[in-house]
Amino acid sequence: MDKYPVALITGCSTGIGLETSLLLARQGYRVFATMRDLKKSSSLRQAAVGLSLEILQLDVDKPASVKKAVSAVLKKAGSIDVLINNAGWGAFGATEEFTDKEIHAQFETNLFGLLRVTRAVLPAMRDQKSGRIINVGSLAGKMTFAGIGLYCATKYAVEAVTESLRLEVRPFNIQVGLVEPGVIETRFKDNRRKAQTFFQEKSAYQPVMEKVFAWSNERAKGAPGPEKVAGTILKALRDRRMALRYALGFDAVWYPVAKWFMPSFVYELVMRRMYGRFLKEPA
Amino acid sequence: MNSRPVVLVTGANSGIGLACAEAIARKGYRVYATYRNPRKAGHLWRLSRSLPLFPLLMDVNRTPSVQKAVSQILKKEKRVDALINNAGFVMAGFWEDLSDKDVRDQFETNVFGLLRVSRAVLPFMRKQGSGKILNIGSVAGFAALPGLGAYSATKFAVNSITEALRMETRPWGIDVTEINPGEIQTSVVQNARLGERVKSPQSPYTPFTKYFENFSKERFEKAAPVEKLVGVVLKALEDRPMKRRYLVKLDDYFTYYLRWLLPDALWEWGLGIMFPWSRFPR
Repeated sequence: MDKYPVALITGCSTGIGLETSLLLARQGYRVFATMRDLKKSSSLRQAAVGLSLEILQLDVDKPASVKKAVSAVLKKAGSIDVLINNAGWGAFGATEEFTDKEIHAQFETNLFGLLRVTRAVLPAMRDQKSGRIINVGSLAGKMTFAGIGLYCATKYAVEAVTESLRLEVRPFNIQVGLVEPGVIETRFKDNRRKAQTFFQEKSAYQPVMEKVFAWSNERAKGAPGPEKVAGTILKALRDRRMALRYALGFDAVWYPVAKWFMPSFVYELVMRRMYGRFLKEPA
Repeated sequence: MNSRPVVLVTGANSGIGLACAEAIARKGYRVYATYRNPRKAGHLWRLSRSLPLFPLLMDVNRTPSVQKAVSQILKKEKRVDALINNAGFVMAGFWEDLSDKDVRDQFETNVFGLLRVSRAVLPFMRKQGSGKILNIGSVAGFAALPGLGAYSATKFAVNSITEALRMETRPWGIDVTEINPGEIQTSVVQNARLGERVKSPQSPYTPFTKYFENFSKERFEKAAPVEKLVGVVLKALEDRPMKRRYLVKLDDYFTYYLRWLLPDALWEWGLGIMFPWSRFPR
């Protein structure tokens, strides 16, 4: 009796989640691709014709939704062998100008949601005494960039989650790893949300932030596509002993190395130059 | 006419906050020391009789409370020269033993609270064209430990917020840094909160939790006196510009550089020796 490994993936309507669910399905996984809004499922549905891929609704922000989706998968497939925590979005704006609500919303999805799904899946993985969890982190989890400080904070936290969870569940033969892409050409740039204050035109940071947005749009052009990340995730799943980190893309591999080896003041000089000269003078 | 610098210290009713507030006041700064629980502020009020130290009610978890306290200071002083973001606590427990609420409470105080106070103070610092923000991080902010994941995650986040604020507010002459102490002799362990399921007999992590308790007890027997950290804070307040990050004791430097130098696999091998889970009965 041949049993296909079962994979649960969050945030599959676009980008990394979409590509990963298709790749894993083609490689013989039984994939449960989840997303918050099923209305956005058409592109995945079309691409997945003939593959062992099912689409489910899962909003990582909502405990009830997480519970429902996880128990649906367990009922249908009997096990969950792989969990890929991919759902997330980016808050853009100056750290000072986010409202409480915006801060909560950013952490709710990128961090608390990731934990919620993980905690829902872990009992099943412990029972079956095997399982793999891959968190989609980011270069922003190793380095902070001005203008996306809040997003970076969530990704730093994901680094800590992965590092600690990995050691906590190792006795149960569960492996946890982190995939860290750099800038990727995805819909991420459409999915980002700007701080409210920014639109109210009273932002002291506006001239600075405009340049950060322009710069990040510029960077996304010609960056590696989401299928590269999917490939790395597959590689991590195939490694007998999954490593803690899989960085991909020139920036994700080398920027942190540069950061480590530069003295603080040089690093900060470089960071300021990176955004142009705009961080020097206030508006 | 008082030209002595004004410092705001959060979570100052005990431990690191109290020691810092007292020492800074002794140096002649005007210190606003905030507390959340009026019943635990007795020591602060006693100090306020002889020092330029002003106890102030503030719950960093609540926006109105933060705004009220900050506006009180500004009304009286018309300025804030430094903010020491110290309020925080430790949530202990393995990830699976923590509830949604546990995780949220941990972040509410350690991260969102820090942001709340910083955001309340920053507009004035920008107006006056100067200011310092000192975030109290932790060694757990660059080396995550099992059993302490939630706390580590908040301190990792603080690490990133410090870096972002440092870059973003620099044009207005504001300097932001982070102080990363390791174990310090305070009541942080006694005040630690345990995750919802940590003590439950159903928890699959019970043997590990016990081991971890002993481990941290032993570590804290070798904790440094709080004066050591206070010295670093005083130095940072006077440094101009401040360093990107301050460490406190030799141990912390050791951990920091080891984490930095060792590849992940070696680092984890070391942690595996410190936390020999696999040898436990399950």
